[in-house]
Amino acid sequence: MAYCIKCGVKLENGAEECPLCHTKVNLPCDIHEQKEEPLFPVPMPQKGTGGFNKTSKGIVELILSLLIISEITVALTMWFSGNFSHGFIPLFSIMMAALILIMAFVAKHTYFVQASVHMGLAAVFLLGIDLYDRSATWSLIATGGLCLLWVLAVFPVSKTAHAHPIATAVKMGTVYLLYIVLINLVVKGNLTWFLPVALPTSAVLFCGVALFFVLYLTRKRTRIPLADLVFFCLIVLFFTFTALDLFLTHYWYGYWALRWSISLFSAAIILSILLSGVTVSRRLRRFFTSQNRHA
Amino acid sequence: MIKVQSYAPEGFIALDNSALIYPPTEAKFNANTFRVSVDLEQEIVPQVLELALQDTLQRCSYAKVSLHKGFFWYYLSPNDKPPVIHPEGSYPSARFNFKDNNGYLFRVLYSNHRIALECFHSLTDGSGALVYLKMIVQQYCHLAGIADFSFSGALDFSSKPSKQEFSDPFQHLYDKNLPGSPSTGSTYHRVGKGSYDDRVKVISAMLDGQALRKRAKERGATITEYLSSLLIWTLQEFQKQEVPVQKKRKPIRLSIPMNLRKIFHYDTMRNFTLFAVVGIEPALGEYTFDEILKKVRLELALSQDPKRNRSQIKRNVGGERHILMRFAPNIIKNPLFKLLSNSLGDDLYSAVISNLGYVQMPEELQDSLSRMDFYLCPGQLNKVALAVIGWKDKVVVNFTSFFNADTELERLFCTFLVEDGIPVEISTNRSNEV
Repeated sequence: MAYCIKCGVKLENGAEECPLCHTKVNLPCDIHEQKEEPLFPVPMPQKGTGGFNKTSKGIVELILSLLIISEITVALTMWFSGNFSHGFIPLFSIMMAALILIMAFVAKHTYFVQASVHMGLAAVFLLGIDLYDRSATWSLIATGGLCLLWVLAVFPVSKTAHAHPIATAVKMGTVYLLYIVLINLVVKGNLTWFLPVALPTSAVLFCGVALFFVLYLTRKRTRIPLADLVFFCLIVLFFTFTALDLFLTHYWYGYWALRWSISLFSAAIILSILLSGVTVSRRLRRFFTSQNRHA
Repeated sequence: MIKVQSYAPEGFIALDNSALIYPPTEAKFNANTFRVSVDLEQEIVPQVLELALQDTLQRCSYAKVSLHKGFFWYYLSPNDKPPVIHPEGSYPSARFNFKDNNGYLFRVLYSNHRIALECFHSLTDGSGALVYLKMIVQQYCHLAGIADFSFSGALDFSSKPSKQEFSDPFQHLYDKNLPGSPSTGSTYHRVGKGSYDDRVKVISAMLDGQALRKRAKERGATITEYLSSLLIWTLQEFQKQEVPVQKKRKPIRLSIPMNLRKIFHYDTMRNFTLFAVVGIEPALGEYTFDEILKKVRLELALSQDPKRNRSQIKRNVGGERHILMRFAPNIIKNPLFKLLSNSLGDDLYSAVISNLGYVQMPEELQDSLSRMDFYLCPGQLNKVALAVIGWKDKVVVNFTSFFNADTELERLFCTFLVEDGIPVEISTNRSNEV
């Protein structure tokens, strides 16, 4: 039986280290101890059990209690005032509010999980209220907007998105186009302006973004100067608005012309020349950046 | 529906005053369970243990109950399902799964040489559980042909249960004319290092009883006073490191369960415990071990004053009898109990140390007994708990902890004992990981 040289306590037979200070047990070579029967026969599981702690459980139960009480109160009030047939919206709203609050405590506290859960619940809430009269109109646009927001702002932080960036970009573009199709269908009942206006404008936008990636992400220096980034965003935006103006004019008036975007188009051309210049010529770049002062 | 006792109403038995808080606050990190166990030299035969348990429940029919949620309060109701015994697990005082246990509020476990009784605190307290365990062991030894004896303090199998055994003395001792004892403020809680989860990690320190008694006696203290003072001293050392500015240091207080049966002479098998709160004010300066011991001794003596205890009982039972508490439905009370139990309970002390005292062994069992243990479940705020039990010439101090790797408190505690001349033998379930 060994003693810990640091703590002075007697250790179990066959102990490899002191459980108090983790000092290794070094027995003389000729002494071999038989391992003692462990304090508990079953090895410790690798993880603890699941479930909520006292405070989380308390908060969830309190929300549920208040939900039950408020649902009963509202239902009775509407019953006695003869408006029970209109009770769905307040009762459904209270239930969804409680669910949203509960999920804020229960769901894992990461941006991805919380944002996903709350966007999902908000979509269900909006659809539920709109579907009350058995017709979905505005809620489809709102829910679609939430889906698009999720794909653009939440999905990119996921591990899947990081593992497959090109597939993610394609998904983002597809969902964006589907959302525009949805708006067109809900508002007009048909694909009226999608094919002649939205699709080609989007194509210009996608081409601009793709060009940015091709130009900047494939070059040797991976660090993109902030000025280049800002200029490129402006160029892509200005060209997209120009395209929108062009296709919209053709859709409405039947001829090809720019009506309100000439200034944007000019600015985009000037910025493109400037950006190409500074990209190609190091001298020009140094003239516009602080690097000339450190040369 | 079966009847528990002739005097008990059918199907509905109110929880005793101190049991009320446990069902609503049961959660992860708050199992509200504890365990007493006996290790014998002989191999345990599960079938015989099952019979011994049935005989014990036949005698103590008030333990054949299950917990139910009523509209206003939780309540107990007679349980006619057969009791189940379970093989020993990897750690003590885990959360109870009542369904797996046929609804019973206790769980009997066995391993090669061990008989363990784990109780949910709504059934009984440590002293009550020890009586149940003594009866199970006594009957087991009788049926297994190991020895025939009767434990001192155990109930007589041949007698009928008395009315007092399942009475709630808190209700008898309640006096509405007394002032309620004042509450204390929040205390220091050790943060600890590293991760933690709800697996209960044990470090069991087996002390030489003679040496411990001698060292405590030299300082004019009992074993409880000595060990409590040592725990306070240990916590003081941690706070000194964590809070360098003296005046910002919070009070360190311990919660020490007191067995009121000895004070009020009741033989109840339900909860009959109050908590003595003893401690120091590190903001006033550093205390030496002897200064802490002196303070603990005085405060423990004061805590055992029956008048003071009745005032505490008045506060506790008064709360239960308050009109808002009585008529508020369970769905409101439950979450509020959960949310307020930290600020009104766990936050008022820095650690728990419970001493079940010395267990007198019958002559016939002296050779068969190899070990006795007592374990508490720790909490989320105070992640280390201490349980003490004495048998033969040994005193076992069991540290139960939620920390995965932090054993600093245990190390400081045991090193002090070794330096004070008390031999300490350590065993653990920490090294027994998958």
